[in-house]
Amino acid sequence: MEAYAVLKVIWWLLLGVLFMGIGIMIGQDMGVGTSLRYLGRTDRERRAVLNMIGPHWDGNQVWFILGGGAIFAAFPTVYATLFSGLYIVMLLLLWSMIIRPLGFEYRSKLDSPRWRERWDWALFLSGFIPMLVFGTAIGNALRGFPFRFNEIMQSFYPHGFGFYTLFNPFSVLIGGGMAVALSLYQAGAMVSLRSEGLILARAKRMMRAAAVLAMVIFTIGGIWLSQLNGYAPSGTIDPAMPANPLASSAIMAKGAWLHNFFTHPALFIVPILVYIALLAGSWFTRRNRPQWAWWSGAIAWMATIGTLGAAMFPILAPSYVNIDQSLTVWNASSSPRTLAWMLGFALVFIPLILFYTGWAFRVMRGKIRPEDIAQRDKKGEESY
Amino acid sequence: MTTSELLRYAGWFALALLALAGAAILSYWAPWYFAWVVGTVMIILITAFAGALYERQAREQGAHGEDPLK
Amino acid sequence: MEPTQLVVDLSRWQFAITVLYHFLFVPLTIGLAVLIAAIETVYVVTGREIFRDMAKFWGKLFLINFALGVATGLTMEFQFGTNWSFYSYFVGDVFGAPLAIEGLMAFFLESTFVGLMFFGWDRLSRGKHLFVTYMVALGSNLSALWILIANGFMQAPSGARLDPFTMRLQLSSFANLIFNPDAQTKFVHTTAASYVLAAVFVCAVSAWYLLRKRHVELARRSFRMAAIFGLFASLAVITLGDASGFKDVGVQPPKIAAMEAMWHTEKAPAGLNLIAFPSSREQKNLWSLSVPWIGGMMLTHAFDKPIPGVFELEAQARRRIYNGIPALLALERLQKTPGDNRALTTFRQHEKDIGYAFLLQRYAPNVAKATPAQVERAARKTIPSVPVVFWAFHLMVYFGFTMLAFFVLATMFSLMRSEYRRRWFLRLSLWLLVLPYLTVELGWITAEMGRQPWTVYGILPTWLSASTHSVAYMIFSLAGFIGLYTVFIVIEIYLMRRAIIEGPATAPGKDDNTQALPTFVLKGGSA
Repeated sequence: MEAYAVLKVIWWLLLGVLFMGIGIMIGQDMGVGTSLRYLGRTDRERRAVLNMIGPHWDGNQVWFILGGGAIFAAFPTVYATLFSGLYIVMLLLLWSMIIRPLGFEYRSKLDSPRWRERWDWALFLSGFIPMLVFGTAIGNALRGFPFRFNEIMQSFYPHGFGFYTLFNPFSVLIGGGMAVALSLYQAGAMVSLRSEGLILARAKRMMRAAAVLAMVIFTIGGIWLSQLNGYAPSGTIDPAMPANPLASSAIMAKGAWLHNFFTHPALFIVPILVYIALLAGSWFTRRNRPQWAWWSGAIAWMATIGTLGAAMFPILAPSYVNIDQSLTVWNASSSPRTLAWMLGFALVFIPLILFYTGWAFRVMRGKIRPEDIAQRDKKGEESY
Repeated sequence: MTTSELLRYAGWFALALLALAGAAILSYWAPWYFAWVVGTVMIILITAFAGALYERQAREQGAHGEDPLK
Repeated sequence: MEPTQLVVDLSRWQFAITVLYHFLFVPLTIGLAVLIAAIETVYVVTGREIFRDMAKFWGKLFLINFALGVATGLTMEFQFGTNWSFYSYFVGDVFGAPLAIEGLMAFFLESTFVGLMFFGWDRLSRGKHLFVTYMVALGSNLSALWILIANGFMQAPSGARLDPFTMRLQLSSFANLIFNPDAQTKFVHTTAASYVLAAVFVCAVSAWYLLRKRHVELARRSFRMAAIFGLFASLAVITLGDASGFKDVGVQPPKIAAMEAMWHTEKAPAGLNLIAFPSSREQKNLWSLSVPWIGGMMLTHAFDKPIPGVFELEAQARRRIYNGIPALLALERLQKTPGDNRALTTFRQHEKDIGYAFLLQRYAPNVAKATPAQVERAARKTIPSVPVVFWAFHLMVYFGFTMLAFFVLATMFSLMRSEYRRRWFLRLSLWLLVLPYLTVELGWITAEMGRQPWTVYGILPTWLSASTHSVAYMIFSLAGFIGLYTVFIVIEIYLMRRAIIEGPATAPGKDDNTQALPTFVLKGGSA
C-alpha cells in the first residue's frame, strides 16, 4: 500500500481511539451527571459524588474537543459536511454540554436548596442529552445522511434534514441507548472506586442494570443492523486517491454492514468482546473489584466502537441521496502532509496526555465520604 | 564527586545546551515567539520580585512603628 | 443554491456574538493563570503564607471565570463545521491542524492540571503544586498560540496552496504555517493584552477591598504585583500592536487603509487621523483631525514609504479580479476533465488571484460574462467598512494608552506605599475595570471586520464560506445562543460578585498579621 493510504488508515484508527476516549472518559462523567439524583439522595451525598470526578471532569471533557479538532484536521470533509447537516443535533449537543461546566462549578457555590436542585437537573440533562445525541449521531452514520456535493464541493441537504429524520428509532434506541447504558456503567464503576456504604451499593446496583441493558441493546442492534441498508465502495478502489468525493463510487445494499464480518470472520471477536467485557464487569462488581470492573467497562466501550468501525470500514458517512458521494476513509481525508504532521504530534502528545492524566488520577485517588465534604467546608477548602 | 553527581551535572549541562540550541533556532525562525518566551519569564520574575519587595518595605516600615491603617 | 445574503449575515452575527462572548472570559484565564503563578512563586520562595492565601483567593475567581471560558469554547470548536461548511471544507486541511494540536498540546494540559491546582493543595508538595500552576498557565497560553496560528492563516495565508483536484487549500509548508509572522505578532499581542486585562481585574478588586479597608494586607500585595505585571504587559501590547500594524501594511493594506481612514494615497510619510468621521457611501472623511507625517512613519517605520489609500486599493482589486477570472474558468474545466493540461497551466498562471474571481461570483454568477459595473461593485467590496474599523482600532489604541498611564501611576503609588491613601485613585481603578474588556473586544473587531469581505484573506470570500442553512434554522440557533448566554453571564457576574464580597478564606476584619496561624483556625475561631 502507498504511504498516503497507510496514513489514512492510521488516522481512521486514531479517530477510533478518540471516540473511545470520548466514550470512556466523558461518558463516565456524563453518566455521573445522569445518575447523580439516584446515586446521591441528600445534598451531601450528591456533593461527595460530584467531588469524586471533580478534579478530572475538565480534563476528560477535552477528549470531546480533541475529537472535533481531529476530525477537522484528519477528515475535514466529514467535519464540514456532517456538522452542518446535523445542525439541530449539534446545537442540542452544544447547548446541553455548555451547561455542564457551569453545573460543576456553580452548583455548590450557593447554600440554597432550590439553587442546587436546579443545577442537579441541569447536570442530569447535560449528562443524559449529550450521550444520547452522541450515540444518535453514530446511529445516523449507519442509517446514512441526505447530503450531496456540487462541483465546487459545497455540500447540500436537498431534502432538508430535520429533527424527525435525525431522531429515527434505530439511531435513538440503539445508538443513543447503547451510549447512555455504557456511560451509566462507567459512571458506576468510577463512583464505586471512590465511595463506600450507601453510595457504593447504589453504584453497584446501577452497574449491573446498565450492563444488562447494554447487552440487550447491543443484541437487538445487531439484528436490526442486518436488516438495514448498508454501504460499501464500488468500482476500482484506489486507497491513495486524492481526497475528492466526486471521484469515487459506492453501492447501497441491505445487510452490507455485515459484509466485512463475513469476509473476515475473525472480526466477530470484536462484538463478542462486548459481551465478555460486560459479563466480566458484572462479575468483578459482585466480587468487589471496582478497578477491574472499570477496565472491563472501558474494554466494552472499545469493543463497541471497534464493532462499529469493523462494520463500516472504509465508509465514514454514507449518503443516501447520492450514494457515490458517500464519504470514505479514502476520499474524505486530509492531504498526506497534514496527516503526517498530525501523526507526529499525536505520537508525542497522546502518550504524554495519558501519562499526566494517570498522574492526576493517582494524586487525587482515595475514597470520598459525605463527611469529608463537611470537613472541607469547615476548612474553607475548594470543593464542588 | 560521585558518578551519580557527575551524571546529574552532565544532564543539566545537556539540558542547558538544548535550551540554547532551541533559543537559537527559535530566535531565527520565530523572533516574536522567542520574544514571548523571554518576555513572559521576565514579567513573571519582575512581578514576583515586586511582591518580595513589598515584604521588605513592610518590614522596614513596621520597624518604624507605622501602621498604614491608622 | 448558494447561501442567501441573509443567511450569511446571520451566520456572521452568530459567529461574532459567540466569539466576542467567548473572549470575555478567555483573556482573564490566560492572564490570571500567569499572575497566580507569579504570586505562588513568591509563596514558594519566601514561604510567607499570605501569598498562598492570595494564590487561593485569585484562584477561586479564576475558576468561576474558567468554567464559562471552557463552556463557550465548545461552541467555537464546532461552529466552523456547523455554520461555515464550505470554509471548513476549503481550508480544513490547513486550518484543522492547529485546532487539533491546540487540543493535544494545550487544552489537555490546562484542563487536567486545573483540577490538581484547586484540589491538590493538601496532596502535593509546595514545589509540585507550583509546577502544576505553571502548567495551567502554560497550557492556557499555548491554547492562544494555536488558535492564533489558525487565525493568522486566515489573516495572512501562508504555507498552503490551492489544489485543483480536491478543490481546497492544501498544506505546502508546516513551518510557514506556524512561523507565519502575522500569527507570531498576534499571539504575543493577544497574550500580553490578556495579561493587562488580568492585571486591571486584580487591581480593581484589590482597590475595592482597600476602599472598604478589608483584607488590606492581601489587597495591597495583590495591587502591587498586578500593577507591575500590568505595566510591563501594557508596554508589550503596544510594541506588538505596532509590529502587527507594520506587518499588515504589506499583508493586508485594505485593513490598514480602513484603520487609518485613508481614502487617497498621500505623499510619504502620510499623516495620521486622530479623529475622523468617515462615510463609506461618500468615500471620504466628513471631518477629521490629523497630524502630518506621523502615520506613515509609525506604520512603515520609514520616511519614504507611502501607505496605499482606498482608491488605489480598489484599482488594484479591479486588476486582480480580471486576472482571477481565467483561473476560475480553468478550475471549472479541470473539474470536468481532470486531465486537461492547458487548463492546469492557465490555472497555475492565475491562481494567486482566484479569490477575487470568487468574490466577483457574488455579483456575476457567470464570471466569464461579468460586466464592468459588476467588477466595480466587487472591487468596492474589497474594502472593509471604514467607519467601523477606524473607530474600533482608534478606541482600542486610546484605551490601551489609558491603561498604560494607569499602570504607571499604580506602580508609582504602590512603590511609594501610598496607594491606599489615594481614594480617588482606588475609585478610578474600580471604574477602569470595563476598559480592558472593551479594548480586547475592539481588538477582535478590528482584526476580523478589517479582514472582510474575506474569511481567508484574498482567497476565500465570506459569502461563499457559509453553510446553506435555512433562515429559520439560523434565527432559531441565534436566539438560542443569545438566550443561553444571557442567562450565563447574569449567573457568572452574580457569583463573581458574591465571591469577591465574601473575600479570601481568612477571617474578615482580622488581618494577616496573625497569618502564622493556619487559616482554618481563624475561621473556626470566628464561626
